[in-house]
Amino acid sequence: MHPISKVIVAALFLTLLIQNTTFGQTKISDKKQSTAEATQKFKKSFTASWNKTFINFTDNNTYLLAGMSFSNQGITAAGYNSSFNYNISDNNAGGYKPGYFAGFRVDGLYKRKRNYSFQVSLNKIATANNYKDAKSLPPFLGSFSNFKADDQFLNLNIALHYKKLLAISDTSKYQFYFVLGPSLDTRLSAQSADNLVNNNYARFLLRGDLGFEFENKNFYTLFLHYKQGLTSFTKSPIKTNINSFELGMIFKASDLF
Amino acid sequence: MKKYFLYSLLAAFTLISSCSKDTTLAETSLAKKMIEEKVWFLDYSQTGTLTKTYIGKATYYINFLKNGDTQDSDGLNGIYSVEKISGQLQIHVNATTSNGNSIEYIYSIVSVGASNLILSYTLSGKTTQLYFANKR
Repeated sequence: MHPISKVIVAALFLTLLIQNTTFGQTKISDKKQSTAEATQKFKKSFTASWNKTFINFTDNNTYLLAGMSFSNQGITAAGYNSSFNYNISDNNAGGYKPGYFAGFRVDGLYKRKRNYSFQVSLNKIATANNYKDAKSLPPFLGSFSNFKADDQFLNLNIALHYKKLLAISDTSKYQFYFVLGPSLDTRLSAQSADNLVNNNYARFLLRGDLGFEFENKNFYTLFLHYKQGLTSFTKSPIKTNINSFELGMIFKASDLF
Repeated sequence: MKKYFLYSLLAAFTLISSCSKDTTLAETSLAKKMIEEKVWFLDYSQTGTLTKTYIGKATYYINFLKNGDTQDSDGLNGIYSVEKISGQLQIHVNATTSNGNSIEYIYSIVSVGASNLILSYTLSGKTTQLYFANKR
């Protein structure tokens, strides 16, 4: 090929390449713009719907929370039969076992009057298992149960609390609240092999919470909640009642990030 | 928007609550895990109201190995499997005697624990329960 032809071909190739690159950039830029527009549109629509749906929930602040829990599982299982038996003395424990939790919560006002909090947390629960009844088969078997309670759970907890400000000390500095409300646990962890046999554990657990919270000049809040099981965490005829004390702390998310 | 939110919640609920596993496999696996790698000594046998005790005496024993082999004090060697037939857990043994004769027998599992095993069989219309323990 003639050198001039080579130069012409190279020039044409470069021109095409530049045109294509510019076209590609325009396309990427257009795509970015349309994504940004869509995101903005979604944000606007979401905010509008949120505000419309939760019109009565105002002055919301988001907090991060973490703490320790101490749990106990009361078990009544004499009516349950299976091919497996478990020695009660190997599985029974008194008191409470420690676990932990972390999550976030939104505190605000309902109808501009009532303090409320909406909490979502992941709870690693360990329970001390307390069997309230037992079977026996003398002289061969002493106290046993056909049900072996699990003692470790990972739960997603959602709670809605009504908060009542208590007139203790100077409320402009320190605020004490009485807290009350329902909470719903969703079990995320699998059951032990012993309970997979009859799928003994339920997925959901409804509990009633009550407790006290102490807010120190908006710096942090300390809380102590007691969660009383309202429904059994196991399917009938086994009844298991999980009760917990939760001791924790919350910080305003905007103070940390 | 509210509608989508509710649909999402419903979908999440359905997904979470609809997960289930094969419980028969779980049951036979658990029973096998409980009996394997242990020597089971016969402590009592009960036929009707007649109870015999073997505590403190030379007694029958059987060993279920993890690899599916079994041996007993009568000199029987063979293989075993844990099955669930018509809602009943069973131990199915195929063995050969010391003379080389084949023998097959099935025990129903009445109850199994970490240190005790109750088996039963029916012969000529009479049910016998065998109480084993893995400690002597």
